[in-house]
Amino acid sequence: MLTVKQNLKEVMTGGNPDRFVKQYEFLQMIMTVPSGRIKPQLGEEVINEWGVTIRWPEGQIASFPVHDAQHIVLEDVTEWKKYVKAPSMERPAGAWDQAIADANAVDRDNKYVAAFIAPGLFEMTHYLMGMENALMSFYEEPEAMHELIDYLTEFELDYAKALVENLHPDAILHHDDWGSQISTFLSPAMFEEFFLESYKKIYGFYKANGVELIVHHSDSFAATLVPNMIEMGIDIWQGVMNTNNIPEMIKQYGDKITFMGGIHSGIIDHPDWSQEQIAAEVKRTCEENGKVYFIPSSCQGLPGSSFPGVYEATDVEVEKMTKELF
Amino acid sequence: MSKIQEVKEKVEIGKTKLVAGLVQEALDEGNAPGEILQAMVDSMSVVGEKFSSGEIFVPEMLIAAKAMAKGVDVLRPLMAGDTSASLGTCIIGTVAGDLHDIGKNLVSMMIESAGFTMVDLGVDVPAERFVEAIKENENVTLVACSGLLTTTMPALKEAVETIKASGLDVKVIVGGAPVTPEYAAEIGADGFAPDAGSAAVKAKEMVA
Repeated sequence: MLTVKQNLKEVMTGGNPDRFVKQYEFLQMIMTVPSGRIKPQLGEEVINEWGVTIRWPEGQIASFPVHDAQHIVLEDVTEWKKYVKAPSMERPAGAWDQAIADANAVDRDNKYVAAFIAPGLFEMTHYLMGMENALMSFYEEPEAMHELIDYLTEFELDYAKALVENLHPDAILHHDDWGSQISTFLSPAMFEEFFLESYKKIYGFYKANGVELIVHHSDSFAATLVPNMIEMGIDIWQGVMNTNNIPEMIKQYGDKITFMGGIHSGIIDHPDWSQEQIAAEVKRTCEENGKVYFIPSSCQGLPGSSFPGVYEATDVEVEKMTKELF
Repeated sequence: MSKIQEVKEKVEIGKTKLVAGLVQEALDEGNAPGEILQAMVDSMSVVGEKFSSGEIFVPEMLIAAKAMAKGVDVLRPLMAGDTSASLGTCIIGTVAGDLHDIGKNLVSMMIESAGFTMVDLGVDVPAERFVEAIKENENVTLVACSGLLTTTMPALKEAVETIKASGLDVKVIVGGAPVTPEYAAEIGADGFAPDAGSAAVKAKEMVA
């Protein structure tokens, strides 16, 4: 039997895996990293490290940035230098100790020590400005948007430097949602103009500093951005929704990038979830998408689920499909 | 090219800084405000179609709507009291328990561009609030309810049922990522649209 890592490599190279990869099993997320992120708990409102107000109301499954007139950080992107201040990268002595200890405890022959990075460059633009305002600014103030994205890129590179120096991750899981369920937010040409070079720098830096695996999360349609993803250096696109034609993408790009997802969280992850529902969804995706260049997974951006038990129940069904199809 | 044609073209490609001036020039040439407005409505129909077909994306739709709004600002004082071009008032909101507003805002913009007066109730709107808003506003012809989460589908159903149970003479259109035409029909909605561009087309059809 192959190790988790060996099996993943067989999947990613179109070789001979002996089972389906079970969702995030190959990543050991180190969540004790002193990221400096300020996030609300359920029922709370916080001002995060960039000055963005984030609210998580009771009864909701996630938090939201608040962009009304009283809370928006950046109304006019041409004034970004005045209002956007990157958080400090300084950490008190010992801040990394727990994360380093957690990384050292990982069996690196079997799993990838993984750092988590979020939100990404595109998400940062709309966290700061609000979605509509950010999207219009790509047209109306392209120079200022380029400057802002360059600034955010420099921050990401500083953070990347701290991660590789302290943690020596083998993998990163980097979030940046680039689309809705049915479309990308930006046209492929606009996406390329504003984000390709920045991500080439960021992911290139990680690759040049010992990171073997770049996992990028975008739970959306983004099939039209796959050539850019490959050029950026993404190894695994996580969060691939069924609205993308996954079998076609595997056929066209599988030897260059692996697709992780295919299980619609909206179908399986809700208060009335059932094992049968999950079984049907996992069976469908495993049968449709095959054994190589594909990792069956929910589209959640971390190992886990919104409703307790769903993630584990999904693993059980992936194992069943291994028995059936391998 | 006629000024009116120029207005039409510039709205379509979202020239937000040019449209107000062009509308003024079109007026100065003697074109009727209603005619200029109709040209912009027609442009937005094209924009909506291109968005629905995947030819353009959200930023292009947003700047086109913004360009039209700049033109409408010029026409508004000249058209005060003239309701002939209006398709009535549309109440819009995201249903109770759901805080997603981006999709709803896009739909609102596109329905407004089609000729409706919009009343936006925001997000997390209880079913009864839709009914109150219908009663509070004049000439309400349409209510648009948005739901983005599978967990808030029951709230969408409740909103539609409450509006229908009120007996008020309005049409109800629903939409949002998990909503299907079948679900819309099942909960008693009069219409469904899969995206903002189609929502504008459907809204016009529903009140025609």
